[in-house]
Amino acid sequence: MQAKLLLQVRHDHAEPAFRLWLCEVIYVLYAIVFVICAYTARHYFFTLNRLFGFQRHPYIDIDTADWPPVTVLVAAHNEEKVIANVLSALMTVKYPEDKMLVVPVNDRSTDRTREIINEFVERFPGRIRPFHRTSGKGGKAAALKDAMELVDTEVILIFDADYIPGAGLIKQLVAPFFDLEVGGVMGRVVPLNAGTNLLTRLLDLERSGGYQVDQQARMNLRLVPQHGGTVAGVRLSALREIGGWNENSLTEDTDLTYRLLLNGWKTAYQNRSECYEEVPENWPVRIKQIMRWAKGHNQAMVTYSLRLLLGKHRATVRERIDGTLLLGVYVMAPITLIGWALALGVFYQGVAPLHGVIALLSLTAYAALGNLAAFFEIAAASRLDGTRKRICLLPFLILGFAVSIFSVSRAAVSQVSDLVTGAEFHWDKTERFRKVL
Amino acid sequence: MNPYIAVAALVFVVGLMLMLPLVPALVELRGKSDALPLSVVQENAGEIRHFANSFRTYIKGLEPIMQRCVESGTTDTGTLFDGEEYVVLGRPDEVLMRALEEQDAVRPVLIMAGVDLVAPPEATFSKDIYAGGQFEGGEKSNYRAILGEGDVHLREASRVLRWVHAVGEFTADVGCGLYGRISSDLLVRLHADCSFTRMNAPRIEIGCAASHAKAGPVGASIPPNMGSRSSPRLLHDGDFEVHPGEVIKGNLVIRGKLHIHSGARVCGSVKSVKDMVIEDGVSVEGSLISARKMSLGPHCAIHGPVIAERELAIAVGTRCGTLEYPTTVSAPQIEVEEGVVVFGTLWARDRGHVVARQ
Repeated sequence: MQAKLLLQVRHDHAEPAFRLWLCEVIYVLYAIVFVICAYTARHYFFTLNRLFGFQRHPYIDIDTADWPPVTVLVAAHNEEKVIANVLSALMTVKYPEDKMLVVPVNDRSTDRTREIINEFVERFPGRIRPFHRTSGKGGKAAALKDAMELVDTEVILIFDADYIPGAGLIKQLVAPFFDLEVGGVMGRVVPLNAGTNLLTRLLDLERSGGYQVDQQARMNLRLVPQHGGTVAGVRLSALREIGGWNENSLTEDTDLTYRLLLNGWKTAYQNRSECYEEVPENWPVRIKQIMRWAKGHNQAMVTYSLRLLLGKHRATVRERIDGTLLLGVYVMAPITLIGWALALGVFYQGVAPLHGVIALLSLTAYAALGNLAAFFEIAAASRLDGTRKRICLLPFLILGFAVSIFSVSRAAVSQVSDLVTGAEFHWDKTERFRKVL
Repeated sequence: MNPYIAVAALVFVVGLMLMLPLVPALVELRGKSDALPLSVVQENAGEIRHFANSFRTYIKGLEPIMQRCVESGTTDTGTLFDGEEYVVLGRPDEVLMRALEEQDAVRPVLIMAGVDLVAPPEATFSKDIYAGGQFEGGEKSNYRAILGEGDVHLREASRVLRWVHAVGEFTADVGCGLYGRISSDLLVRLHADCSFTRMNAPRIEIGCAASHAKAGPVGASIPPNMGSRSSPRLLHDGDFEVHPGEVIKGNLVIRGKLHIHSGARVCGSVKSVKDMVIEDGVSVEGSLISARKMSLGPHCAIHGPVIAERELAIAVGTRCGTLEYPTTVSAPQIEVEEGVVVFGTLWARDRGHVVARQ
């Protein structure tokens, strides 16, 4: 009854059952609006923290130490275009040679990847120990899991094959492991092919917002910086404690973040540990990539969100809230679409929630502030990066968001249908665009 | 007006207004004026000697002139390829003042000496200085940057704005302000009331360190009859104390305040999420990390990196790292007493200060 009071249904002839149904729809709409507002507030909170808050970079100053032995895993599946770049870069980094072993994890490649790796093994004897995998389950997590037989160091770093680490990066990524609370480390990813076309330029802006603002704000606020699975590290003892790599996960990085958190380990984010990567240069590849991320993330959400929010473990209250919001990031796309559909539906049924005036004011406020939250974040990131003109491309981001929202929603729908039909997830490798050396 | 034209005009004007915010975007998309990847320094590994090494490369072209000046005992002046004016000194006497006086006093000039260099007091050197031998600064002088192939000695109340690198020993007398990178291949020695930010040397002595050395060696055998606890990683929620003389075999992660009482020993690393107080004579074989303030010493011995996310106070007689295993001591604000020795890097992100021992 109370709900009915909130409504001003102008359809006097509507059936009572239909009006009741509309009430329920309105409540769903309120819930969606509430969740969207929570994410909007989160965007602003993170951005303002980055602009005006205390910035935490506790480990970046560690430049002299008794450096521990480290194994660098390079995940490679048909990477003939890029594998030489990453191996060359790793051979020139400034880390004690006798303490660093590079393990290219060649996962069932059918191109020249194996040959190129073997050439490097010959050129740098004792510094590269290849792991050529010819069978087994597909996917990065499965390959890394198998490669663990070659790892005996406490610190493990992971790079995808399209990354190009700078000279000081290994030390920077190892440094946080001097902190015994840290189980995982994540560096910052910077697109190398940023200027190729509109898509790469938009991805460059998105990455900037995601790392420069989101990740660093989480680090500042002691929330849950996300392990990205590349330009990243993990502590062997922590990995063993949480049961190793989860080969059933589509995004082993998100999975790792939450299992570490639930077991009392922290993930540290190093914003100044930057590494070049290659971003997709065409929309189909981008859509495939973001759909895989969405599926993996949603998979982690189903597995961990309740345990994280309500379970008995060592995560703090703020980590529980932020971690849960982070898990829900990709499910927000279909939720937003449902929200739009419901809002349109009730509008055309002549329903004005909250007596119309409040709804109108809320809508105006949201249009003024809410819609701009993500843009504000990316604009702030560009400013923090010291860039000048690329900020002009901000209006085009609406295009990127539109593609993302439908791709991610499609991924969610296909995930649900897979669940119903019993179809298995399969791992799609992101296509590379660099010229073969 | 024809209604069709009116509608078309309306659509056109509205379309134009909608497109207006996209104009800068379209211009940038087409012009690509800021389309390069973000600058990620691939070569520079954060090496403290980076500027000194770059300067050495920069002045390489002046080496023949310097050699000639040294052999002939003369002074030469000129302009580098980028328009930078220089003075090359070839005599180990007080020619610096004279050479500078010959120049326009207000004109900044790069100074390159193939021999020992003695700088006058209360002088300001707004360009870099190279000393082929020892460098002896005057009191209350201001320097931009100094590269010394021998020892570098800054007299009382001098200031360095960018960097100093000494192949020999570096010494700063009382009240010096070292606002940039200070490095030495042998030793950095700071006296009372000096302020600093980033320093690196095999050995950094604060004040007269040798006379205060009491810290026990890290890794010494554990005395008998000492209470001990053992755990690979002790994770504790809330405050925690390590009792006097207690031995902890393993790592401590404390999600509260940590107080390690005098004479205790941790055979592992220590982390506290809140303040950390380390009393007299404590030794830690691993790292020491506090997410807030840390008070360390006196007479402690720490093997691994020492990090405080807010403030760090280090008391007399404490040693961080060893000559064989140098380490990093870092915090935004550091107060360090005379009598402390750090082997490796001492880095105060905002401000470091040497406190005189009473």
